[in-house]
Amino acid sequence: MGYALSLSEGWDVAIGCRMTDLVAAYLPLAIFIGVSMVIAGALLVAPYLIAFKKPDPEKLSAYECGFNAFDDARMKFDVRFYLVAILFIIFDLEVAFLFPWAITFGDLGWYGYWSMMCFLGILTVGFVYEWKKGALEWD
Amino acid sequence: MTIGLGHFLTVAAILFTLGVLGIFINRKNVIVILMSVELILLAVNINLVAFSTHLNDIVGQIFALFILTVAAAEAAIGLAILVVFYRNRGSIAVEDINMMRG
Amino acid sequence: MTALFFYLFSTVAVASAFMVIAARNPVHSVLYLILAFVNAAGLFILLGAEFLAMLLVVVYVGAVAVLFLFVVMMLDVDFAELRQGFLQYLPIGGLIGLIFLVELVLVVSTWSISPDALQVPLASNAPLEGITNTEAIGRVLYTRYAYFFQAAGLILLVAMIGAIVLTLRERAGVKRQDISAQNARDPKEVLTLHDVPSRKGLPESVS
Repeated sequence: MGYALSLSEGWDVAIGCRMTDLVAAYLPLAIFIGVSMVIAGALLVAPYLIAFKKPDPEKLSAYECGFNAFDDARMKFDVRFYLVAILFIIFDLEVAFLFPWAITFGDLGWYGYWSMMCFLGILTVGFVYEWKKGALEWD
Repeated sequence: MTIGLGHFLTVAAILFTLGVLGIFINRKNVIVILMSVELILLAVNINLVAFSTHLNDIVGQIFALFILTVAAAEAAIGLAILVVFYRNRGSIAVEDINMMRG
Repeated sequence: MTALFFYLFSTVAVASAFMVIAARNPVHSVLYLILAFVNAAGLFILLGAEFLAMLLVVVYVGAVAVLFLFVVMMLDVDFAELRQGFLQYLPIGGLIGLIFLVELVLVVSTWSISPDALQVPLASNAPLEGITNTEAIGRVLYTRYAYFFQAAGLILLVAMIGAIVLTLRERAGVKRQDISAQNARDPKEVLTLHDVPSRKGLPESVS
């Protein structure tokens, strides 16, 4: 057990500088997110503090052309949105696999090239299939 | 205080446990069960990446990449089955999924 | 600094993972799932796995979580009814979860890594060599792990075809334009000209 602990401490000493380097490289991003959260929070909180509020039941009721609301505002989505979302996921992953390939393209050689072409070919088969089935048509 | 491998493994263990717990306590809702499976896979990915950094070996990250692919495919197919099941039976409760019981 | 961000990300990730399984409304569950994934991406960045962090945000937050959201919105289910067994299963679920956690903590606190594993990495990790994480992945993914890569492609193909087969329905009564069929029509076959005699009209067989 003591061995394991000393091992992981050694890891921190060896790689700790690299980790802080990475965090330092992402620090602008963290600052950006922090600032945007502060702004969003301020915009969320400010109306509560400074806005004039005098609610009455008539103001708070849902209004639909003079009637009370007929139905829940959440309505069912069409299943075709779902199909489009699935196809989006598949091609999203395909593009994600392209990024490291594009970066290392110079020193991959022909094997890496044809590896990727085979991958793209497999997905093209699927693409042709969905095109022929009419999964991309809306009506 | 430095952050070591053990810290990341602990986070992954907690996430994994929460995923298993989610499967048990949401036994009626298939959607939340699928989300719990995603949490479990996320915990596994954290483990793999933590060991990849620890051992200075990129293979762990490649494995995590494939797990991500499989998880996305699993979510897509699982939800497709769910949609079809809902269309046929009008319910997504787990206890209604028993037509293949002998 | 690293410690601060680690505790920030891991706390939010664990808290939102808890809310995923505890939220009443599945829409909230999905949103907490997104939060958990974003914070896990932060943890990945702390570990130096930038590419996986990017992928987690792009694929999970951008696509999978949205897919879950679609399904929750699409199925018009009374979710309050689905939560009825919540307290009933809580003791057994909590017990099993606790056993799991204790086991995992026992494993984590007592294991040790063979020094040989540290000596020879199969494919070295990136930043020590002055190349980026994405580049280190790309160097081995398409050559040494080419077969796994093709298998990933096949899995994606199966997922795509499966989703289409399961959810695509032919709708009856939809009129679609078939351009090639339109262009292939020949006037000689579809059009006949008749001289219509005055005050007699066409014979019955033609009209």
